[in-house]
Amino acid sequence: MYKDKKSGIIGIIITIIILILIVIFSNGEIGSSFLENAASNLVMPIQNGLTYLKNKIGGNSTFFADINNLQEENKGLKEKNSQLEQSLRELENIKTQNETLKEYLNLTEKYGEYKTIPGYIINKDISNYSKTIVINIGKKDGVEKNMTVIGDEGLVGHVISVTDSTAKVQTIIDTASSVSCMMSTTKESIVCKGTLDEASTLKAMYIPTEANIIQGDSIETSGLGGIYPKGIHIGTVKRVTNTQNITDRYAVVETAVDFDKLNSVLVVTNQ
Amino acid sequence: MKKVVINIILVVIAFIVYFLQSNFFNWFNIAGVMPNIFVIYVLFVGLFASRTMGIIYGVSLGLILDFVIGTRTGIYALCLGIIGFISGTFDKNFSKDSRMTIMLMVLGTTLIFEVLKYILSFLFALSGVELVNFIKIIALEVLFNILLTIIIYPLIQKFGYYIENEYKGNKILTRYF
Repeated sequence: MYKDKKSGIIGIIITIIILILIVIFSNGEIGSSFLENAASNLVMPIQNGLTYLKNKIGGNSTFFADINNLQEENKGLKEKNSQLEQSLRELENIKTQNETLKEYLNLTEKYGEYKTIPGYIINKDISNYSKTIVINIGKKDGVEKNMTVIGDEGLVGHVISVTDSTAKVQTIIDTASSVSCMMSTTKESIVCKGTLDEASTLKAMYIPTEANIIQGDSIETSGLGGIYPKGIHIGTVKRVTNTQNITDRYAVVETAVDFDKLNSVLVVTNQ
Repeated sequence: MKKVVINIILVVIAFIVYFLQSNFFNWFNIAGVMPNIFVIYVLFVGLFASRTMGIIYGVSLGLILDFVIGTRTGIYALCLGIIGFISGTFDKNFSKDSRMTIMLMVLGTTLIFEVLKYILSFLFALSGVELVNFIKIIALEVLFNILLTIIIYPLIQKFGYYIENEYKGNKILTRYF
């Protein structure tokens, strides 16, 4: 494959370095901050000097600076205004939520009666296109097909097949999965489907045309469909995408469960 | 006797490949996209041993994957079996000494495998069609696979030619001329 050994080894080492760099940069956080620091340390002194020079030369810069300040202040105030509006909306949300919670008190008592079995995730799917997981409890522990699996924060998925000591779980972010849910404030029912897009987001479809979707609204299961019981928290509306035709519009829902860091789950045995 | 040893080693490598794929690459990924080293594994078995070996290893590895993680039994088995068949065909038509041909083979087999698997899972109603995201994922996956092949090819080459001598023996002499 390689003409002489030396160039071959150099080629391999370069490839390894490129691969590691790609992985680090694409996943962010780990190495990028260090590299960013190094780069900014290298460039910043020059940048500072240049800015100083520019300020010295531009003698009548105060007028423009004032305008800039005013613009910034205006921008800040606008932001604050929108924040306040948002918090007002949130408060309204909380108000309605409070009412619903009072309404659902009976259900939460029932929710507390659910028997659950704790289990650990022992295997994640090896392909990029489906997101099933394998947990370490099975028939021996009382797990059966179509049982609901929840995490600490919310719904995870349902069991699709069991062996004696393991069970396969289809998560709600799998592309084959669709969950019937409803918005907690307006009680409109929608369907949440998994996408290939990224982990921990769902696409909420079939939104009724007259329905009013609010960003940040919480989504829970509606109990229709026969697999998931009613009232399990799924996530919050991240953003709403309007299309030309109002029947096609969809919302992106961020799941409450972080599927990348999910380790332990609970299987609901009686519904 | 030697063939038995070779087969045992191949099975051990298959297990290592499985654990690499399910643990190591879950963490070592490009923007959440994992490579598919099963395809590379079956490709190399088909290339260096024989077409039949490629098909047998592809189908049995695929069946194990189907039972362990798949939702419908048979999809992995069929796809990997086809990869084994194709790699046996590649062996007859292409040289294995050139870096470019190996990279192109990995590109071709990965594309065939993923597209076939996607179509099958769509037919079994396991997924909807999301073309843009699918192309994005597949492009990253192919890139990752090619980079991995460049790194591990010299390691496999020696073992591969050892297997080839054992299986094809004196049938192939062209390599030495």
